Amino acid sequence: MPAPTDAVGDWPGWRLMHAFAARFVAWAVETEGSSRSSALIRIGLAMLFWSRWAGELLLYRDQSPVGLLLAASFFVATVLLFVGYHSRIAAVWTGSIGLAMYSYFGHQLGREPWTHHHTYLLAVAALLIALTPCGRSYSLDRYLAVTRAERAGLPPPAERGNLWGLRLIVVQLSVLYFFAAFDKTNHAFLSGARIEAIFLWYYAGSDYPAGLAWLAAIVSFAVVALEYCLAFGLPFRAARRYLVLPGLAFHAIIYVTLPVYTFSATMALLYLAYFDADAVDKVIARLQGTGSAGTAKGEIS
Amino acid sequence: MVIAAFMVAGPVAEQVFGVRTALLRSWTMFSAIGLGVIDASFEIRRPDGALLPLDRFEMLGASRSGGLKRIESRDELASVIKRLCAAAGQGADIRVRARQATRAGWQIVHSDAENACAD
Repeated sequence: MPAPTDAVGDWPGWRLMHAFAARFVAWAVETEGSSRSSALIRIGLAMLFWSRWAGELLLYRDQSPVGLLLAASFFVATVLLFVGYHSRIAAVWTGSIGLAMYSYFGHQLGREPWTHHHTYLLAVAALLIALTPCGRSYSLDRYLAVTRAERAGLPPPAERGNLWGLRLIVVQLSVLYFFAAFDKTNHAFLSGARIEAIFLWYYAGSDYPAGLAWLAAIVSFAVVALEYCLAFGLPFRAARRYLVLPGLAFHAIIYVTLPVYTFSATMALLYLAYFDADAVDKVIARLQGTGSAGTAKGEIS
Repeated sequence: MVIAAFMVAGPVAEQVFGVRTALLRSWTMFSAIGLGVIDASFEIRRPDGALLPLDRFEMLGASRSGGLKRIESRDELASVIKRLCAAAGQGADIRVRARQATRAGWQIVHSDAENACAD
């Protein structure tokens, strides 16, 4: 008589689950790939931090010790992130500043716009990019590494690394989309009432335009359906090819119609995490006319 | 796994268990903007008894893009009604249909069954 564990191991469903789990683990934490997409996200995040806060954190704005410390820390950390010097430390530093702005300055001290989704998303994205090989490409870190290798008579170090940080960004985006949709899965939203109220607040004022009810109901359903599709579909290559453009269009529409600050741009930038890093590398090499960089494997989709 | 669990914990805490905390993000988006806004329409009774749409901007000589454009609360609505009644003169019959945006949808806050100037 076989041992119970063997019996479980022989069950086809168990083997299937085991294979799926092994594949998931390999995808999540064991994948090595090009560091170029991580580097592009790193640079983009630094620019988004400036776009959102550089104006508000100019040194003359808040001349208190805490204000000056925040501003100085912000500019030093984001410059390091942008140029890629000690890139991963700079990413942790930048993300920590973002979280401090969100939780302490935003929630504790009442700087209301700093409590918004876009603030949290930027901070979290910076912390997650610290878990990627974001400094191995397009960075001062890379320049110094290549210089060191040349002096030692060695080939330049590979622009590759473990991509588990990019996988976590994918998880973060799916969680965001799923719960954004889940929160809207109720009569108040699906009836169109919340979209109507938003439209009145920002555009029409207290005069309800004719024909808005049907349009609002259709848009409400479409938004919720799209968010669920983006949550579950974007991580998978087969569905991604049909969802990337609708997703980007969705964020573009939100960006130009509502005051979402850097949220849409951050989401669009983080879409890079969905794509196979080697395929992104291959596209970059093709665009630069240098052919394959020698790290690419997949096709972009 | 810990980081992924933390990502899920925020929205689950608020959206499933109703626990709100500044440290965790619930991703409840577009849930607060627009709340409180009033959708209002006004009519005035002419001497022949007919009800005609009332343009509040014209009646009060206000800019269409000014503060009168968006009525944000019941108090503000009451103030607008009071000003319209004053502008229309003694014995005016103004009917107001209004509803307010709430988290649960639209809530009727004024019906046109009665003369709003008689309140």
